[in-house]
Parts: sequence; structure tokens; C-alpha cells
Amino acid sequence: MSHKITRKMDLNSADFYVEVEAPLVAERFKAGNFTILRSNPQGERIPMSIMKAEDGKIAMFIKKLGKTSMELYKTLDTFENVIGPMGNPIDIKKYGNVVVASDLVCGHAENYAICEALSAVEGNHVISYQTYPTADEVYPDEVLADKVCDEYHLTTEDGSRGEEGHYIDLLEERLEKGEKIDVIFAGGALPNLQELGEMTKAYNVPTIVTVRQIMVDASGMCGACRVFIDGEMKLACIDGPMFDAHKVDWESALRRPNMFVEKETVATKLCKETGRC
Amino acid sequence: MAKLKPRVPVREQPVEERIHNFDSVPYGYNEEEAIAEAQRCIQCPNPTCETACPVNIKIKDMIHFIAQKQFKEAFLLTKEDDAFPACTGRVCPQEDQCEGACILVKTGQPISIGKLEGFAADWARKNGIKEEIKVPSTSKPKKAAVVGSGPAGLACAADLRKYGYEVTMFETLHQAGGVLEYGIPNFRLPKDIVEYELDALEESGVEIKLNHTVGQNIGFDELQEEYDAIFLGTGAGAPRFMGIEGEKLNGVYSANEFLIRANLMKASLFPDWDTPIMVGDKVGVIGAGNVAMDAARTALRLGAKEVSIIYRRKMDFSPARAEEYEHAKEEGIIFQELVNPVKIVGTDRGWVKGVEVVNMKLGDKDSSGRPRPIPVEGTEHIIEIDTVIEALGTMPNRLFLSKAPELKTDRKGIIITDENLMTSIPGVFAGGDAISGGATVILALGEGRRAAKAMHDYIEGK
Repeated sequence: MSHKITRKMDLNSADFYVEVEAPLVAERFKAGNFTILRSNPQGERIPMSIMKAEDGKIAMFIKKLGKTSMELYKTLDTFENVIGPMGNPIDIKKYGNVVVASDLVCGHAENYAICEALSAVEGNHVISYQTYPTADEVYPDEVLADKVCDEYHLTTEDGSRGEEGHYIDLLEERLEKGEKIDVIFAGGALPNLQELGEMTKAYNVPTIVTVRQIMVDASGMCGACRVFIDGEMKLACIDGPMFDAHKVDWESALRRPNMFVEKETVATKLCKETGRC
Repeated sequence: MAKLKPRVPVREQPVEERIHNFDSVPYGYNEEEAIAEAQRCIQCPNPTCETACPVNIKIKDMIHFIAQKQFKEAFLLTKEDDAFPACTGRVCPQEDQCEGACILVKTGQPISIGKLEGFAADWARKNGIKEEIKVPSTSKPKKAAVVGSGPAGLACAADLRKYGYEVTMFETLHQAGGVLEYGIPNFRLPKDIVEYELDALEESGVEIKLNHTVGQNIGFDELQEEYDAIFLGTGAGAPRFMGIEGEKLNGVYSANEFLIRANLMKASLFPDWDTPIMVGDKVGVIGAGNVAMDAARTALRLGAKEVSIIYRRKMDFSPARAEEYEHAKEEGIIFQELVNPVKIVGTDRGWVKGVEVVNMKLGDKDSSGRPRPIPVEGTEHIIEIDTVIEALGTMPNRLFLSKAPELKTDRKGIIITDENLMTSIPGVFAGGDAISGGATVILALGEGRRAAKAMHDYIEGK
């Protein structure tokens, strides 16, 4: 059974928005869960963050990067499979002052979902930070997390729109001033999540981040997504995908997603040559 | 007594051809060969082969039928005890079971029971002969759920259907079949055979729900509410790692990952199929069981120049099927025996460049009945390889178990069952690797069938 794509739009020069019919996933989705996508009957299984789920549909932000995403962007109007929800949701409870931060495609989707879930809990003050490189790359207003949080900060690294700087620096300023932040949830570029963890450790702020890894079955069978937390092997698919940034072995977490880069380049090149993407 | 004829050899794909493809290695017997082999059977009054078979297939009569050219009868007789003879004929460790107990084993020429079983099933498939399934018609059939579509679940579902239940099977992956699909390579168990059995199951009325993970997108409590009985065939699909330094390096796979990429995701057809696999020039497979043989021979077919099995004992003590070991040797797999990995070493860029091993010697027997391997101090040395595949066995999958905390398991996560295969939850039964921690396809098939009977009795209130 294939899944109909009901809406596609550009988010910026690199990313696009997809809305797809996936009743089973939509019905059970909670912030923190992800989905496994297969674009066609010969497709690979790709983990993807979910921005929101409603009316039997889920919305995702996808980067036009590899073969599958390019093909989805250009030529496909259905997905072969949209599986899940997989992984663990975040603990949806009262934390107090919650920061939700992101600087990259999947992270922005998670940002929206987490803000929406946590701002619905009484007693939370949810602060969202969304960092983009420059004004031209900021996503359309309708998908920004400002609607689902209590305090919103749009930031650009060059200062061309919103506040200037990366969320890590802006948060550090606030912590330096002695402001109380009870927990930080963050997603996006892995090296920045490592840096965020290093920064918040000094201030002793619990920091929970999405450690995005390559997955195959995403049900605990293959071990491709193994990450090391406090020296112990965990699987991002069934133990994560979010972990304590202060405990992640970042060296291997940053390296493992590159294991197949050589092959991925070949696939994308061939796909472009044959006009499929 | 007439002089015993030698075993009828099975024709096989030549080595130089087969190492470049994933097609079946044995071609199987043709009718003449099968008859000639069956006629070698001396039809013992007390067929020890049958008692040595985990599901007690009526082997003697099956062979007699084949010898008489009554292939259909041979097939149907086999089906009475074995849900998937085409599969078990190919993957059972016959030398430890039926063939090992054959009276002719003393001559070194036991009957090729596995190949005869496979022949009968293949003949039936090619000739459109199917077991006739009569599903009793009831106005309001009871409902049974089967979790996991591997061998145990398939056998259980098939029988539950025959008892007249409305059967729904839940499978996490996008393809049913469990280890028959994701684990065992096509060159050993062609996938058209598995898919034929799956089609037959669906034709009989079993509903297979793919992409359904119990505990994740359907609750275990919901199943318990909706179904009159449940069978858990959740397998032992989680990989085991050695836990040594260097396992974080790129180029280290679990055998599960390597085989799932190659089999289920068809990485050999990359880039036409999307899933990639990286295989270096020199591959080292750690372990020496069937999965290790499968991984080694798959690596060779994916283009590795040199593939080694790295084993801490001697191959005499390997749990691999004799046929797989023979095929692996013929294909040029290198066997490095009596060495145990202590560390995986990497390049500056974080890729595997070798495995440090220590020599082992064999000591007294351990709990497995095999000599315990003991490290020889000061013999550490490096075997240069650029890909490591760890084939150290598997464990029950934590995903389902974590969502069913009320289910009693042992420390390792193996589901505890009573003599009727019922778990600690009334009406919930289990079988296969989920209750053994990792055994054979035939045992799983047997347990699936036994559980179906127990479920039927349970529902009927017997």
C-alpha cells in the first residue's frame, strides 16, 4: 500500500516540506518519535523526523541531499512505506523553563513537535530557538515554531533577520546572566549538538539531543545506529533517538553517519543522469 | 546384502561462477537422481532418522514414495509434520539430525534425506501440487494473532487457520518471512521459495499486516483485548557485539546488519536498489556458525578479494552445517582457527585496518561440551583487514519485550513458557528463537505448530 503525498513545497534553497497520508503513524505520533520512509519498492529505509501529525497525515522537513530525497522532491507523488512511529517519545511533563533549539532541517521539525507537546503542559514556559544561516534561508512563516511556544527567537548567523548569532551563543549569554533554564531539547547539526552539550555542561543544564544515525530496520535488529552513552552501547532506534548530550561519545557519533558516503555519491550521480532526480 | 551404492551427488553451480552471483548453489536432484537416491534406503524396521528429526517427519515412507515415483504422496506426507519442507530440506543441519542417525552413516554414505525432502517440495511447487486446506466454516470464527512472521509464526499461523481461526499476523518489516528473508542468503535459500510459502499462507486466508510493530504502533494490550489467543514468534533478532575496543570504528558490522543490507534490502543490486553496502578488499568474519558462513560467502559475492573466518576454536567444533562449511572452503574462504580478537584497530580516519588477535589453545570441555579455548599469553598479533563482520549469535529483541513488561522472561530476555508453550500471560503463547534464544528453523516450525494446537485447546477450554 503506497502513501499519497498531499502537499510538497520548498522551504528554502536546500529543504522542502512534505505532507503524506500515514494514518497509523499520525494516530500514535508523539514528539520525539520518528518515521521510517521508503520511497519506492527498491528503496532504502530512512529515518525521518516528524513536524506534526493531524487528520491521518504527517508533515516532514527533508533536505535535498541524497538520492531518495532528490527523487522525492522531483518526481514522486507517493511513498512506498511510511512506517512507525518508531523510537521513543520525549517525556511530556512539566519541566519549568524549557528551551527547544534547532539549526537544521530535521531539527526544525522536531523543534515544532516538541514545542507543541510541551507548551500544552501547564507550568512549562517553552522557549524556541530556530537558527538559520541567513534571512533568505529562513523557512516560510507557516512552519515556524512561533505558533506553538511561549517565547520565540528566530536567529540568523549573519544577523540578516531576527537576532544575530547561533542559538548556542545566545543561550550561553542567557545562562551567563544567571537565567534559569531547566532543560534544553535540541536537534540539528551533530557537531553543533556536541558543542551545545559542552557549553551547557558547564552550567549544569540537562540537555537532550537527537543523535541522528544511519538506520536499516530501526527496530533493534541491525545495530547500525549504535551510539555510546557513558561508555555503554545503545541503539538510537529503540533506545533513542534522543540522548543526554553530556554522555554521548561524540567522536563515533559524528563519524558513523559517513560510513556510506562514497556509495551515496554514486547513487545520487546515477539518479541524476537517468532523470529520476 | 548387495553392495551399497554411493550417495547420488547433488549437482552444484561451479565455484568460479557462483562466487559472482547469489543464485542457489545446489541445483537439487532431478527425478532420476531422486529415485536412485531413494532406492538406496534400506527401509529400516526402526527408522532412527525419524526419531532424530525434531518434528518426526515420516522419513521412511517419504523416501519409499520417492523411490516409487509417487512424488505427490511424498510431498503431502512431509507436509503433515513440516510446514515448509522446501526450506528445511535446505537449511536443516541434517548431519546432526536425520542423516546423522541414518543407519548408513557408518558407511560414510547416509541417505541424502535433506535433498530428497527438498526435491519432493520443489517437485510439488513446480507441478502446482498444494496441500488441500479445509478451513472449517463457523458463523463467528474466533480470532488469533501471531506476532512476527518468521518460521515459528508462519507455522503457527498456517495451523491456526486450519483449525478455523481468523488469523492476523503482525510483522515489523516491510517484508514477511523473518530470518528466512532477512538472514539466510538467496544462494542457500532462494527467496522465491519463501515467497511461494507466504503466498500460500495468504491464499489460505491468513492476513499479514506488514510495518506493524507491536508495542510501537499497535499496543500489546490492544491485541490481548481483540484476540482470543496470541502467539509470540518475535525471534532473537538483536545482534551481539564482542564489546572490545574499536567496535565504534567505521567498517564494523554486525552480521545482522550486513545480511539485512544484502538480503532484505538487496544491496548487491545497488545502485538500482537504494541501500548501499561497503565491502572492503579484506574482510574478517568473527565467529564460525551458519551466520558467519553466510556473511563470509556474501562478502565474497559482493566483491571482497579475501575473506577470512576468525574463530577461537577449531572448525571441528563449529556449529555450522557441514554443507555450508564445505561450500565456503570450495569458494576460497580462509579459516583462521584458534585466534580470538582482542581489539579492532583503525586508521587515522576512523576506518578499520586490522584486528588484533591472541592465539588460543584448547583446554577441558566447557558447558557446551566443546574444549574451552584458552588465550596463549604473548601471542597477540594483527590480522590486516578493512571490514569486520561480527557473527557471534543474537539475542531476543528488546523492543517488544520493553513494551510487554508483564511478560516473564529470563535474565537474557528469553520468554518463559510452560510445557504447552504458554507464557506467564494466559492465552499468550510463544515459540521459536524467542523462547530458545537462537536455535534452528525446524525447531521453530515445530514449536509454531505445537503452539497452534495448544492455543486451539486453550480456546476450546480443553
